[in-house]
Amino acid sequence: MPLSRRQFLKRSGLVAAGGFLGSALPGPWLERALADTIGDRYFVVLFLDGGNDGLNTVTPIDDGGGTLRTDYEAARGAGVGGLRLAPDDLSPQAVAADPATGAALGLHPGLADLKVLYDLGKVAVVQNCGYPRPNLSHDDSKRIWRTAAPNGSTDSGWVGRYLAANYTGTDIPAAAIGGGVPGEFEQSTTSVLTVRRVRDFRFPYDTRYGSDIARKRAAFAGLHDVARLSGQPTIAHIGNGGTATLLSTEAYPALHDAYVAARPSWNEAYSDNGSSVANDLREIAKIVYGIETGAPSVHARFFQIRNGGYDTHSDQGGADPNAQHSRLHQEVASSLKLFYDDLADLGVEHKVCVVVWSEFSRRVPQNDNGTDHGSQGPVLVLGGTVQGGVYGTHPNIAASALDNSGNTRYSQAAADPFRSTDIRDVYGTILKHWLNMPHPQILASVLPLESGDPDTRWTTENFDLGLLT
Amino acid sequence: MGDANSALTPAETKHLLRRTGLGLTKRDRRTIARNRKTRGELVDKILRFKPKKVRFKGDGLDDAVDAWLLHLWKTRTPLAEKLVLFWHDHFSTAFDTVGRTGLMTKQNQLLRTHAKGNFKTLVKAINRDPAMMEFLDTVRNRRQNPNENYARELCELFTLGVQDLLGQDNYTQDDIVQIARAFTGWRYAVPERRDEPDYERAESSFDPDRHDFAEHYPERGPKVLFTTTGGFGPGGRAFDADGEGAAEIDAVIDILLDHRDSTGKNTTARRIAYRLLEFFAHPEPDLAVVDEVVAASGFDVTWSIEALLRAIFVHDAFYLTASAAPFDGAAVKSVRWPADYVIGTTRSLGMKLKIEKERGLRIEGGSGLRVRDHLEDMGQALMNPPSVFGWEWETAWLSSATLLARYRFARDLGAAREGRQNVLVPKKFINLKLTDPDAILDAVLGALGIEDQLTAEERDYLLDYLTDGGATTTLDLKNDEDAVAEKLHGLVALALQAPAAHLN
Repeated sequence: MPLSRRQFLKRSGLVAAGGFLGSALPGPWLERALADTIGDRYFVVLFLDGGNDGLNTVTPIDDGGGTLRTDYEAARGAGVGGLRLAPDDLSPQAVAADPATGAALGLHPGLADLKVLYDLGKVAVVQNCGYPRPNLSHDDSKRIWRTAAPNGSTDSGWVGRYLAANYTGTDIPAAAIGGGVPGEFEQSTTSVLTVRRVRDFRFPYDTRYGSDIARKRAAFAGLHDVARLSGQPTIAHIGNGGTATLLSTEAYPALHDAYVAARPSWNEAYSDNGSSVANDLREIAKIVYGIETGAPSVHARFFQIRNGGYDTHSDQGGADPNAQHSRLHQEVASSLKLFYDDLADLGVEHKVCVVVWSEFSRRVPQNDNGTDHGSQGPVLVLGGTVQGGVYGTHPNIAASALDNSGNTRYSQAAADPFRSTDIRDVYGTILKHWLNMPHPQILASVLPLESGDPDTRWTTENFDLGLLT
Repeated sequence: MGDANSALTPAETKHLLRRTGLGLTKRDRRTIARNRKTRGELVDKILRFKPKKVRFKGDGLDDAVDAWLLHLWKTRTPLAEKLVLFWHDHFSTAFDTVGRTGLMTKQNQLLRTHAKGNFKTLVKAINRDPAMMEFLDTVRNRRQNPNENYARELCELFTLGVQDLLGQDNYTQDDIVQIARAFTGWRYAVPERRDEPDYERAESSFDPDRHDFAEHYPERGPKVLFTTTGGFGPGGRAFDADGEGAAEIDAVIDILLDHRDSTGKNTTARRIAYRLLEFFAHPEPDLAVVDEVVAASGFDVTWSIEALLRAIFVHDAFYLTASAAPFDGAAVKSVRWPADYVIGTTRSLGMKLKIEKERGLRIEGGSGLRVRDHLEDMGQALMNPPSVFGWEWETAWLSSATLLARYRFARDLGAAREGRQNVLVPKKFINLKLTDPDAILDAVLGALGIEDQLTAEERDYLLDYLTDGGATTTLDLKNDEDAVAEKLHGLVALALQAPAAHLN
């Protein structure tokens, strides 16, 4: 249980000091060296909202020594409304074979740009990611992925628990590009900024009475200082949020101007791309550029963005580049490639790790022309120091192996050639090898092991999946 | 223990009007000062309204949202509209997926018609609502491959909830599949008007030739729900008992609303009561209170939303958060919805909203954003909720991005402009003869209806601003234009940016 804000303030003596905001920028607090954890690195989460069809993201091209392609063709039709991707569409997109069955695997043709990065060895495809007793509700499954607590034991996010262990009250270590704080960052110890566009992130003073602004700022800051110390969590939240917002409005807008001036062609490339993923990644690029060039009072190194539209119950489409699912893939792949290239040009791609996830995959057998909610699916991890390749084994999609609803089953049995990758092993690998959290601390404060049947529950951790070293 | 016969203190009257209204109007303030009615009497008065009709003009979504917002601003029965907002969130439907404005306005009117009516009737109407049929794929639910989208959300969000209030599963995946079968064959037809499709008059229809009859799909088993939950016993309950076909979707609702949770209480009644308590009273209501309001209203039998609301509004739990600041930890304060913050503020300050040609709904005299753009920036794009889950409530309304949008709105309201360009007309909300800064501050906070939400310490910061740290001892609102344009307007903006302004 992380310290509550009030506990923290009492312990640090900030209550007695009080009103620091009203007087001046709290330099020492904001400038406080980040604990030697993420160091000079960055971490980006891209959430595919709605349940991305994993089977049409990483697809069997042949049977190898098993039946994956045959099973795939039995579940996904060809012709009108059919979702099947043909071997000819997939072959140019081939990644490493499934380690268990030897079946050749290919990325959806819409992910061609990602394949370029894969060929550079910068993309890890982590197969068959999920958790025990898959939940088919969007809301519940998102909550499970974000909290990494299938039993519902906590509301805090897995990144949030890491942040809570390493940062304090007025640090602003994380920024979500969008309107709300994402569940994986949730906690009550430190501030998470939400920004739609850094350029517009200014405090709205009435500029007609410029001489009055200092008074307004002082009053605003004082009001929020009082609220921060309230025993009512709602009011403390507003106090803390208002404070973080005010301070950030004094630091972030300049990042936009600096980036646009220094990197005009990259700026334009994001505009040309035009997708919301590209536009959101550009905001992250601006912040990264700012930090790399020494912008004052900017410390966000954890970012989150989302892309919606993956709940493809109908009109999902197959390989056709104009089809719904393919367009989503193209947007994501082209945007990630652009972001990576931008960072590489800046010489910092080795400092960035991006993880792409969705709350579940989709039903193995398609419905009329779409797919209903499913279970385990692939997670993508990319970055300059990621060890590219395919990790984990493909789920068993044979009709006889599916559960009552037609979804693949979660398994942790060591001998199972279709063994699932528990999401907590993916998170643990990132926490241990990217964020440098000690292995015992991960188990103790972020990802507690489950008890129960070791074949169907997550009772043994593997925080060394190999994709980050 | 209070009840319907309890007298109301002014603070409680204010709380009741704030929670059931949109801002505190002059009329509300008079009621607070003079009220002699008991809880039950005043609640009955508030609940006494007839469903209105909003006149949706124009044909784009923006026009529809503007018409709705204008109605929110105008209404004399704000509770009716607060309920429409509640049901819009509950039966969340987004234009971005539906794609037809006429279907959205038709649904909006449906929610208004049934806002305090019969919950069972409302759900049955939603079953056949064309916007919902588009949004959750009923029109794409084919018998060959039933589409589970609507069936799942019907159970998870509209009625039972995934789990009951004690954490036990309410249904299984098989129940979802069976319910999806019932909805096969449903479509809607759109009549034409002057050679154009008239979506507002779209009507659902049933085509038996497209329906999943049991004899065609023996492998799907009998048309039975809830063999493991619901208290129906291992045989479950058949939804084709009254015959197969068009009647099945009503039968499904009858069964869902008979479902008992793991303690034998009506699952849906408890959940709807819980949601309404969260919305009107405070977050995380006690289970005992939930059961009390259901029992007192007979909601699990009659499904009268009005009766349930009355039981909530006369219950002690509703008045838990009625006391003034400073607040103790037990009574958790609620966060105002953006629609309440924006519309309520304009109503409290006596501002006028007007639809300007080509420019949309704006505050009269204002040069700032459209009202609907303010709301969208605050995270509440009406008729376009973020997903089928509707909006996230409470502190989720207040991220730094959406806080900043609230600060902008406050600035825009307070931003001083010359002469008739003022959107803020001081004489509409404050006595201009006042000169004492203390009294002026009280008047402004009173007009905004937040004077009881501020601690003395917070109030001091505002006074400090108004008096330039004590340097000013009198303000001449009548003659000193600068005092008004700079300080009074600045004070309104600052007060609306204060934490207290976001509390309910």
